[in-house]
Amino acid sequence: MKKKGLKTFFHNLLIAVLAIIWLIPIVWLLFTSFSSYDGINTSSFFPEEWSIKHYVQLFQPDTVAQFPRWFLNTFVIACCTCVISTMFILMVAYATSVMRFKARKPLMNVAVILNLFPGMLSMIAVYFVLKMFNLTNNHLGLIMVYSASSGLGYLIAKGFFDTVPRALCEAAKIDGCSESKIFFKMILPLSRPIIVYTVISSFLVPWMDFVYAKIILNAGISSKYTVAIGLYRMLDKSLINQYFTLFCAAGIVISIPISALFVLMQKFYVEGVTGGAVKG
Amino acid sequence: MANNKKTPSKAIGRFFKGIGGFFAEFGTAVSKGDIFTKLSLIWMGAGYARHKQFIKAAIMTVLEAAVILFSILFASQYVPKFGTLGTVQAEMIFDPVTMKNIMNDYDNSFKILLYSLICFVVWIAFFFVWIKNTINSYKIQVKADKGEHINTFIEDIRMYKDEKFHITLLTLPVLGIVIFTVIPILLLILVAFTNYDQNHMPPSSLFSWVGLSNFVKLFGGGGMTSTFGYSFVRILGWTLLWAFFATFTTYIGGILLSLLINNKRTKLPKLWRTLFVVTIAVPQFVSLLLVRNFFANGGIVNTFCKAIGLTGWLRDIGLISTSYIPFLSAPGWAHVMIILINIWIGVPYQMLIATGVLMNLPADQIESARIDGARPRQIFAKITMPYMLFITGPTLITDFVKNINNFNVIYLLTEGVYTTTNQALANSQAKEVDLLVTWLFRLTQDYYNYKMASAIGIVVFIICAVFTLVAFNKMIKGDREETFQ
Repeated sequence: MKKKGLKTFFHNLLIAVLAIIWLIPIVWLLFTSFSSYDGINTSSFFPEEWSIKHYVQLFQPDTVAQFPRWFLNTFVIACCTCVISTMFILMVAYATSVMRFKARKPLMNVAVILNLFPGMLSMIAVYFVLKMFNLTNNHLGLIMVYSASSGLGYLIAKGFFDTVPRALCEAAKIDGCSESKIFFKMILPLSRPIIVYTVISSFLVPWMDFVYAKIILNAGISSKYTVAIGLYRMLDKSLINQYFTLFCAAGIVISIPISALFVLMQKFYVEGVTGGAVKG
Repeated sequence: MANNKKTPSKAIGRFFKGIGGFFAEFGTAVSKGDIFTKLSLIWMGAGYARHKQFIKAAIMTVLEAAVILFSILFASQYVPKFGTLGTVQAEMIFDPVTMKNIMNDYDNSFKILLYSLICFVVWIAFFFVWIKNTINSYKIQVKADKGEHINTFIEDIRMYKDEKFHITLLTLPVLGIVIFTVIPILLLILVAFTNYDQNHMPPSSLFSWVGLSNFVKLFGGGGMTSTFGYSFVRILGWTLLWAFFATFTTYIGGILLSLLINNKRTKLPKLWRTLFVVTIAVPQFVSLLLVRNFFANGGIVNTFCKAIGLTGWLRDIGLISTSYIPFLSAPGWAHVMIILINIWIGVPYQMLIATGVLMNLPADQIESARIDGARPRQIFAKITMPYMLFITGPTLITDFVKNINNFNVIYLLTEGVYTTTNQALANSQAKEVDLLVTWLFRLTQDYYNYKMASAIGIVVFIICAVFTLVAFNKMIKGDREETFQ
């Protein structure tokens, strides 16, 4: 009995050690954000002097760091992207999962091929197209970039719709339901987990994305940045010694809502993915 | 993918059969159609007008007129120059009327390329509408001959809520994909065959077709001074190595971690899981930029290593020659560190997925194996792993492809930190730690070398496509899409 207890102890110790390793950088982020020193503290893990002045400074924008502005920009972009993407994804997923038409399989195969192209490749061309229409350094352009092709990410939602019993739809059809009625009145109410998942994941895209925003918002106009670009800019070689602690504070502020959404989403993600795969 | 299709060749066969059928229908329509059906080859509304579908006739007529106008007013300016991509260089000329220097009526190669491409896409789309229209006219004619009911406009509209609901659903998303993914990809495929770079930047100068010379340069040709061939091999090698290690370390790590946490001995498994998830919930541009400063040459880890004497010891055994450990700034060190840091952000993801799968493990099998006296290790090797592989095998391939294109990790960790000392790589704007995509990104963003970037992009696509096709054919036996519907 004693041996078993020892085993349990070491087992949990191992997990604890791993968790500590995993959390060290995050803890460092948290501690550093409370430092009163502006640049990077390279001599000790814990700040020498504690203060919350950088959190206050976050909401007193200067020419470089305009955190409230960036937050608002990203929020607006995220909301628009979220609405459009969710609609597109659910529409494509329903059409490919529940309906049967001639072009269905060819379309799905084309989608697989398109997904293989590095997104960056098309982005560079998209940049030119947007520039021609004066939509670079413009939030509308960025929203279009995030949401226009979102239909390609339909597979997870489709996997979920696939699990809705076909017999249910067929019965509704025999009762005289039109396809649109089945979609709105039957499938959508049944699909709450996947709708929540799609909404959150498309809302998170602009918050998590770095590269597309960097390509589109390339003029260096600070008031137009999203949070990602703004924070990246703060760590520029010439600025890092002035803004590193502010970066940490901003990182913490931005991470709290995103983490909350993310943790919420991953619950639905695991449900959606395994729900689709395991039953097969 | 398709149920009755196990090889891509069959799918392609079916695809062409479908297209063939489409044209065969068109042939029947033209040969057997009456005068109005034939007339609708020229006036697209004819067939509809004959059978009193006036609104439809009007719509088709307007569409036809719009495409013709588009061709005359817009396409004629650009498409004829597509073969040369423009011949008139931009320059200032003296205008005798206003007595001022003005810009001449120059050609913009990029506009010619882009707008011609858009014209081609519009024309191809219109071509299919045109054929479909003739087929429809014929169908209505047949119906009328049999004395069947011909739909009114309202009834036609109503079909888009029912049998044709998929068209209603798919139109906007497909349009978005065509404009923001298909056309750009086609555009850059075309650019790969031009000399569009820093010295040929529209509008001030022209670029033109150069055939395969960019690819020749990429695969080692292009003269003695070009180092693109060398860089390409180096970077391709690292890209594949990286994708392999990044995929497998996180995959195995994720499974092990989830097994560890889901073990009966673990106290508070939910708490531990959440702690690990927190690290990936922080946006990558925060966590990676942070880690990069964590491991900087003058960063805190280096201070710590110096304090405990690790730096001195490494110097003594000759692993480093600097007064700091170049975690992210020397080849070798950076490569290993990038893979390690990727484990840090990748394992929790895989753990989440593995946890989901493990919860659905066939418990009865494990139970009976245990009764038969199997050891935990045997159960893991004989039941757990095969089951995991079966479920997550396909994601392993998509992960591999994703890692080939994993821009964030490499860019955020090394951009501005890592400078190469290898002259050959530097000549082609590459670094040892670059992936093909980050190289491509730098070529376009900093050096405006679009021709080489496009060529690299196409190569990346081919690599990804080959891996996907080979792996999917091997791993997916049939389709499980409809088995549980």
